[in-house]
Amino acid sequence: MSQKLENLSALVDGENGVSSSSNNLVLDAVKNDTELQLKWKSYHLIRDGLRQELPANINFDIADKIAQAIEAEPAILAPKKTWRDLPLVSNIVPFAKQGGQMAIAASVAVAMIIGVQQLNQADVNQPFNAAPPIPGIQGGLSPVSFDQTRAIPNSGAVEQKRRINAYMTDHKQQLRFKTIESVNDKSAIMNQDIKNQEAQSDIVENTPQ
Amino acid sequence: MLKTPLNKISSRVVLTLLICMFVPLHICAQEESSSETSNKSYPSDSAQAWLVKMSDAVKSLNYTISFILLKPGVDSQPYLWRHGVNEDGLEMEQLNLLNGPGREVVRIGDKVSYFEPNVPPYSLQSSIINGPFPSEFFQLPEKLMLSYEFILVGRSRIAGRAAQQIRIISKDKSRFGLNVWLDQETGLLLKMNMFGQEAQLLEQIQVTGLQVTKDPDPFFEKIEPGMLPEVISFGPSAPLNSKWSIGYIPKGMTIIKRDLRRLAVSGEVVEYIMLSDGLVDVSVYLQEKENNKPQENLVGTVQSDTLLTIEHGELNITVIGKLPAATANAIAKSIQRIN
Repeated sequence: MSQKLENLSALVDGENGVSSSSNNLVLDAVKNDTELQLKWKSYHLIRDGLRQELPANINFDIADKIAQAIEAEPAILAPKKTWRDLPLVSNIVPFAKQGGQMAIAASVAVAMIIGVQQLNQADVNQPFNAAPPIPGIQGGLSPVSFDQTRAIPNSGAVEQKRRINAYMTDHKQQLRFKTIESVNDKSAIMNQDIKNQEAQSDIVENTPQ
Repeated sequence: MLKTPLNKISSRVVLTLLICMFVPLHICAQEESSSETSNKSYPSDSAQAWLVKMSDAVKSLNYTISFILLKPGVDSQPYLWRHGVNEDGLEMEQLNLLNGPGREVVRIGDKVSYFEPNVPPYSLQSSIINGPFPSEFFQLPEKLMLSYEFILVGRSRIAGRAAQQIRIISKDKSRFGLNVWLDQETGLLLKMNMFGQEAQLLEQIQVTGLQVTKDPDPFFEKIEPGMLPEVISFGPSAPLNSKWSIGYIPKGMTIIKRDLRRLAVSGEVVEYIMLSDGLVDVSVYLQEKENNKPQENLVGTVQSDTLLTIEHGELNITVIGKLPAATANAIAKSIQRIN
């Protein structure tokens, strides 16, 4: 059993390499063994946890849910043959259908024409529908100032776009002009950094003693 | 009579004890120093060992790689990347943008020359090409070990070759993560994905062709080092007495540049700070607020860069770089006047 578990663990970790025969053996074993299936699930969960790949919310038993959903689905049987499926009739029926569609389209068009005509007439007959004349200053805002308030955020947006553009251009330029000195010097500095860090961590560990 | 031998014995015991304590310590110290210099102390199947293999391969092999850079919102950009080491051990590198009018960068040793349309050619003194990929990471992956975690994920097939996948995650989640696929045989890069906190893809480099040759590409023989443009030297800028200090710098990042500069587009004078951790570079701009210039707080992404502009105290602060908006905000909010 422990050998089986080890094989499974190696498979989950991708350590079995390319030799597919051993993988197939493990997979067959998993298929026929419910305990191994449970292990399979938990190993994958552990692996994802270790690699910090767990999703925000974990859905266990998704397979069960799908199976239930399939159970609940009403069965669709093949429809019985009717007289419509006879060769001659089946050729004629589409014609009839098309004719019906044409009739519907035509009646819709007529309805639209009538409707549009009625609408136009209504417009002509109701002069009260026209917009009322603007009475000077309404709510403290004249139409002119209304236009201005609209214009200000627009120019602000343009200004902001221009500023962002300026920053982005400069950022790109700075990255271009960023230079790295000879790699050897840099690595020496870095080693020092690591040493310092280690030294510090040593001190921290030693203080309790 | 009895006292003296006892004293002698006790002193001997102390001496041997002391020796016993010091000798192993000394050996330990020696081992540590040797492991730091060789860099090959990682177990052969660890992610670190793979990254060391990658940086060795990037610096020492003769290769021609074609790759495509993909960013959200812009067209794909195909590049040709060649590298060679000649008989004298001189490193030569070429990077060429293959679409449009082209852009060519050539590095011979520590001199990087840029040939671009509409700009006279120029050279910089640098040991890396700061191009579309993080060259510094390819050459010095060890630099990331302080702030990132390396995880060996598994094998897969990329660009028709067997590849080893490595996941690089920010330890404190203050930066984006990377998925890197390295060629099983040579250790060279085959694919690189930068992903955000919800594992969404932000930027991708996909290699489409990889050739490793015994000799450097004939292209490098045609370059005459004497004909390359002059090196532009930026004089050492005057030490800046800034009134502002940054309180929070993400772990592993350092200030690598700080000066006053005039923005080319708008002509405004700003204080500029560049932070880098060896993988991502972040620009921070500080501008003192003018009285009648209201500025909206804004956060968004431009291609794969995050851009954050906030009003903070007497300053307008803008942070740009490939890092999560929360980190950009934390950096900007931590800026204070020095008392």
